[in-house]
Amino acid sequence: MTIAEIGAALRSKKISVRELTEETLQRVADANQRLNAFITVTDVAARLRAAVLDHELARGVDRGPLHGIPIAHKDNIFTRGVRTTGGSKIFADFVPDYDATIVSQLNDAGANVIGKTGLHEFAYGITSNNPHFGAIRNPWDPERVPGGSSGGSAAAVVAGLVPLATGTDTGGSIRIPASFCGVVGLKPTYERVSRRGVMPLGLTLDHAGVLAATVRDVALALSPIAKHSSGYRPVAHADLRGMRIGVPENFFVERIAPDVMLSFRAAVQTVAALGARVTEIKLPDVEALNVAGRIVQLSEVSALLARYLDRRDEFGRDIQVLVEQGRLIPAIDYLNAQRVRTVLVRDFSKIWKHLDCLMTPATPMTAPKIGEMNVAIGTFTEDVRTAATRLTRPFNVLGWPALALPCGFSSAGMPIGLQMVAPPQQEDTLLQAGAALEDAFGIVGRHPPT
Amino acid sequence: MTNWKALAAAAEPPVPENLLPDVIPALEELEAALRVLERDIAPETLLWNGREDEE
Repeated sequence: MTIAEIGAALRSKKISVRELTEETLQRVADANQRLNAFITVTDVAARLRAAVLDHELARGVDRGPLHGIPIAHKDNIFTRGVRTTGGSKIFADFVPDYDATIVSQLNDAGANVIGKTGLHEFAYGITSNNPHFGAIRNPWDPERVPGGSSGGSAAAVVAGLVPLATGTDTGGSIRIPASFCGVVGLKPTYERVSRRGVMPLGLTLDHAGVLAATVRDVALALSPIAKHSSGYRPVAHADLRGMRIGVPENFFVERIAPDVMLSFRAAVQTVAALGARVTEIKLPDVEALNVAGRIVQLSEVSALLARYLDRRDEFGRDIQVLVEQGRLIPAIDYLNAQRVRTVLVRDFSKIWKHLDCLMTPATPMTAPKIGEMNVAIGTFTEDVRTAATRLTRPFNVLGWPALALPCGFSSAGMPIGLQMVAPPQQEDTLLQAGAALEDAFGIVGRHPPT
Repeated sequence: MTNWKALAAAAEPPVPENLLPDVIPALEELEAALRVLERDIAPETLLWNGREDEE
């Protein structure tokens, strides 16, 4: 059920928040052994809060569309009195004494926290194959990764355990799991959603956002958390008439798995059929964005994690490698990467003179198998991490809002993700385009068989 | 180009030897790419600060 459908059921008294919460907790209990999507389930607090939210509704106090809606928070987002591990052994027993701003905003909007979802260690990777808390499984195929780092959030949403979850995105950590699991994930404009109380990773690359089963559900969740929110909600029959949508003719259509390319091309045709003005566009140097972004990220993360070097044996091997790389990068290279970024942001921003929106595949491939280190795309073999972040990282470097949504399935039955990108602060454009596309695709909100 | 192996040995604490085969290739690749990109940075170019174009 969508958030709007659950809300209607609550308000018509077909179900109470308490009943909804019990059903949700039961689903989590049934599925978590198989999927490992949750690190912590806050069942006692969720039941207490459900009673309060029921009481409010009975008194005519309605907090809005999220009133009573079960939510899960990624476990690198502070929750007062509830341990927040960051997926790391080092923070395994860390209990914050305050809620992250995004948590308190969603609480104020009436959401009911069910628990904390698993992630790649320190949110620093794309598999969510966590050495301390176990591998999170993709509900479409438990032998495959759900993506990461917000893997538990995406798995929980697509398995129908919760309708809404939070995530964070430093190089693609919301959009990659959205793509691999077949859910909708929004990375808003840089700093549009508060990062207070989110464990930092890439100091100038981190974004907080949400994952849900539909674009319209994402819109409902964005409203209370976005600074200067317009409260925009896509209409029932959103359209694309007159929207100027750019389709890259370089980089984003190179080294793409055939199944993904087929779905992407079909999505472009759909967009045109819905009345958009589709323009092929040659983008400036996207590879340069990835180079600058990787240098910035390595340096910034190591600046944060270097204080734990005396405990590096408690890091997974992939984290050890990345942390060591980051602390060897000279300050001059970090600073020049940030200056390159300034130049690139200026160059790329020129595309918005002629476009409202850009569309690309979200990831060049579908979810790899757990433990797979390299992925073959056509005749090209690439490291899984580099491949998965190749199409998402550029928009962390640019700071632009980006939405991932499902646009098809591979021949192996795995979801394929589409990425829509807009100019800074233009999340409404993304939501409008995304809503029109989810209506047209008819696959958004589909859950795997249990 | 940087002698990453020497830098790794000189770091405090040093980078564990067993990690070097995974640590160094990416640094070499990124350094080579950055050297090309930084040639085009005008002297007055400031650090990215997250704000939209200030020009």
